[in-house]
Amino acid sequence: MMIPSLLTMLLATTGDLKVGQFGMPVQASEVAPVIDNIFNFITWICIFFFVIIVGFIVFFMFKYSKPPGTPATSNVTHNTPIEVAWTVLPLILVIFIFYKGMDGYIDLRSAPLGAYEVNVVAQKWNWTFHYKNGATTSVLIVPANRPVKLIMSSQDVLHALFIPDFRVKQDVVPGRITTLWFTAIKAGEYDLYCAEYCGQQHSTMLTKVIVLDDADFDTRITEEANYIDKIPPDMLYVAGPRLYMRCKSCHSLDGSDMTGPTWQGLWDRTVDGEQVFTDGTTLSNLMGAGKLFDGPEDYVTQSINNPQQKIRMNYSGSMPTFKGQLGPLEVMAIIDFLKHLDKFDTDGNPLDSADDLATILDAAKAAEAASSNE
Amino acid sequence: MSKAIPAGNALDGANYLSHTKGFLSWAFTLDHKRIGVMYLISVLTAFFFGGMAALAVRLELFSPGTQFMGQDTYNKMFTLHVALMVLLVIIPSVPAAMGNFILPIMLGAKDVAFPKLNLMSYWLWIFGALFFVISLITGGLDTGWTFYTPYSIDIDSASAGHRFGGVLPALTGAFILGFSSIFTGLNFIVTIHRLRPPGMTWFRMPLFLWAIYATAIIQVMATPVLGITLALLAVERVFGIGIFNPALGGDPVLYQHFFWFYSHPAVYIMILPGMGIISELISVHSHKHIFGYKFIAFSSVAIAIFGFLVWGHHMFTSGQSPLMNIVFSAITFSVSIPSAIKIFNWIATMYKGSISLNTPMLYALSFLFIFSIGGLTGLHLGTLATDIHLHDTYFVVAHFHYVMMGSAIVAMVGGLHHWWPKITGRMYNEFQGRIACGLVFFGFNLTFFPQFYLGSKGMPRRYHDYSEALMSADKLELFHTLHQVSTIGSYIQAIGFFLTLYYLLYSLKWGRKAPANPWGGRSLEWQCTSPPPFDNFSEAPTVGDCYDFSVLEWDEEDQSYTWQADAHESGGESSGH
Ligand code: HEC
Ligand SMILES: [Cu+2]
Ligand SMILES: [Cu+2]
Repeated sequence: MMIPSLLTMLLATTGDLKVGQFGMPVQASEVAPVIDNIFNFITWICIFFFVIIVGFIVFFMFKYSKPPGTPATSNVTHNTPIEVAWTVLPLILVIFIFYKGMDGYIDLRSAPLGAYEVNVVAQKWNWTFHYKNGATTSVLIVPANRPVKLIMSSQDVLHALFIPDFRVKQDVVPGRITTLWFTAIKAGEYDLYCAEYCGQQHSTMLTKVIVLDDADFDTRITEEANYIDKIPPDMLYVAGPRLYMRCKSCHSLDGSDMTGPTWQGLWDRTVDGEQVFTDGTTLSNLMGAGKLFDGPEDYVTQSINNPQQKIRMNYSGSMPTFKGQLGPLEVMAIIDFLKHLDKFDTDGNPLDSADDLATILDAAKAAEAASSNE
Repeated sequence: MSKAIPAGNALDGANYLSHTKGFLSWAFTLDHKRIGVMYLISVLTAFFFGGMAALAVRLELFSPGTQFMGQDTYNKMFTLHVALMVLLVIIPSVPAAMGNFILPIMLGAKDVAFPKLNLMSYWLWIFGALFFVISLITGGLDTGWTFYTPYSIDIDSASAGHRFGGVLPALTGAFILGFSSIFTGLNFIVTIHRLRPPGMTWFRMPLFLWAIYATAIIQVMATPVLGITLALLAVERVFGIGIFNPALGGDPVLYQHFFWFYSHPAVYIMILPGMGIISELISVHSHKHIFGYKFIAFSSVAIAIFGFLVWGHHMFTSGQSPLMNIVFSAITFSVSIPSAIKIFNWIATMYKGSISLNTPMLYALSFLFIFSIGGLTGLHLGTLATDIHLHDTYFVVAHFHYVMMGSAIVAMVGGLHHWWPKITGRMYNEFQGRIACGLVFFGFNLTFFPQFYLGSKGMPRRYHDYSEALMSADKLELFHTLHQVSTIGSYIQAIGFFLTLYYLLYSLKWGRKAPANPWGGRSLEWQCTSPPPFDNFSEAPTVGDCYDFSVLEWDEEDQSYTWQADAHESGGESSGH
């Protein structure tokens, strides 16, 4: 089993390792070739020195290997000119490398004016991207051939946004705004990773960058902004799976306990007011006209917008607030989703294709097109 | 196996091992040699557990998805690996274990300057280690050894809900270990200043001592900063007072500055002593005068000094100002020069030598090979433009394993073989030694070389999984193969180390008795018996040029080097200091 996979690797590398292209990923941003040139340049210097060093070691090792007791044939203790030479020459070389690296770095940092801005919010363990027109997505959608600037903040701990194919990375630091910019050059789909250790599910804090040509980008981002308006009001729950993407690192649909309580049966429990909180109070006593919560809908809404207000017994207060990130319609969609969990499997996929969000949006689009053609 | 007892073997006579007997005679000994041996055993025990954690981590990464450890366990496992290896193994291994045994003898001294402080350092190490055990059973540590805030102060996530468990005992343990390290450093500085015998000027000291001296300076100057940082972190975690937590007005990047202000110099605490060992191994086993003594000595000091000024290169993507990044990148390159000088000088030492390819020499050559790669790939990381891409990927993992494991540990193991006859009075099996060295060398490169490629392709570090569902297919396939190769390499290394463990233990009872000077070393420890007597030297040793090997002669019958009959004068006289 090993041998075949080793072989495939060798084949893969020979296909992939063009001369002077030492295993960097696809070049999908404007700056990538610049970085790769520096990388290759340094790698060639490394190979040069490595061959010299190891060459001498191996040569000396065999040439001067003697039986014990043979005296050394030379006893030089130093040679100042040589030593100065091998101090100064590498020094000149590294100054040059430093300069090239600095030059490339300045390119990486200086975002051009008028770049398309996207706000990025990182939280354990997912990414949310907010666009100027109000759209919110969990994949990063950007136009090709146009500078894009990410304005990033974190809700909890350190994260880092890393797009290998673009050669960019920047930590996302709570309490600060950090930025990052790039110009994607090819339409397509690229990996986006979290690169700074952020706890339990660090290795699943992955998403995609979707690069679209200008026209496609505009349509797509408009659709993203008002998709929820396109859903028939009595079917809001179909938006549930999409919104659930942002909750699934802590809430399960299959009854298993994660960082947060499972959503299975949550609605019934809430209607009955079964929840007990860390301060010993019970939901049923807090719910009703004039009380803390007007009713089950209000409880869920407040749980989303102000999760620290009442924390459930045996859970921690680690749920971040989604106030301002989820619109009123979206919160309603989540409530509707909780009421209709029986229409979805435990991964959140609709059981009936009639409840599929994409299908419904496509139908709405077709209907719109038909009406504008009339 | 020759049965006759070679000249200079003291196993049957008086030596430091037979001097007194019983547990207490060890536990409360003030003899630097016994303390060194206790350190050695403790450090190797920690190395065993750290290695086991590494093997578990590698096995988990063999394929995508969960193999046998969930996310939480994995995060605790890699943290355990690094915490043991860095704090309990590499930092004390060479200075405290090897240095304790060798340093006073090399100086011709009877002990270190403060033997009681020395004993206390050892017991602090034990207490520090104990706190790590407590951490393990009270929730475990899952922050990485860096304890980055605010994750590490978030009681709900790091060590899930254990306010006083997990993170807090680990911080306390690291704090205590810091003191152990400071005291050792202090002791060595004073010993080197005050206890050199007449005739041993600074520039007649073996280079190992220069390296230990430079290390000790870092230990004394940098470790207190770590202590303060960890104390602040502990206070913040327990009382939530807002030093590093932005939610309370603190600053997580400030923490990173504090942390790396110690931890970058700490990298040199780990590697400089190893370099010192290599200077000894290469010259002794090439039987040739070290080349460029002063350049090597000064480069150790230069590394120690520059090492304090480059911590920011761990933070190029942290959000610190671009100007700072540029300054730190520039200074970082200055550290590469002294390292390069050392490599060139070591190779020049071999030129026209009379090289014996003994196990210690093979380890020294492995070191040269591995350290070259580790050092050269540092160029990619010191360079701003490329580090942005490579930071926090497996490229960095590969780089620091080439430096920490492939260089520091390999040098340590090489030194262990070199001084084994001196420490135990027995020779290990040379043939098995070479095989094991080969396995470690091959396994090491197989483990870590693919990781450079993994990293440049974009695989982030500290990932429990490279997920089938989340990664693009082409990356996934490549990552999978490279991880497999890497895992196999790690098990080959493990076989090498277990073989080493076996023949070293075997030699303790059945090994050939060692002569005083099996390799032909000129520094003072080779003038003592093997193992050395309790007080090291019964008469003041003669100090000469410790790299002039022309005064030694091979004695075939004893398998040992002895002084040439007419050579004594060339060593003794000197101008004093
Ligand atoms: C970082 C983990 C995390 C994420 C992400 C998260 N939650 Fe929570 N959630 C929790 C925890 C922990 C609790 C229980 C503590 C509490 O009551 O606040 C909770 C409680 C809740 C409750 C109350 C449950 C009950 O049984 O009373 C609701 C409703 C809820 N979350 C909705 C959401 C929604 C909607 C999202 C996504 C938009 C989300 N959560 C994302 C951790 C999380
Ligand atoms: Cu992360
Ligand atoms: Cu560093």
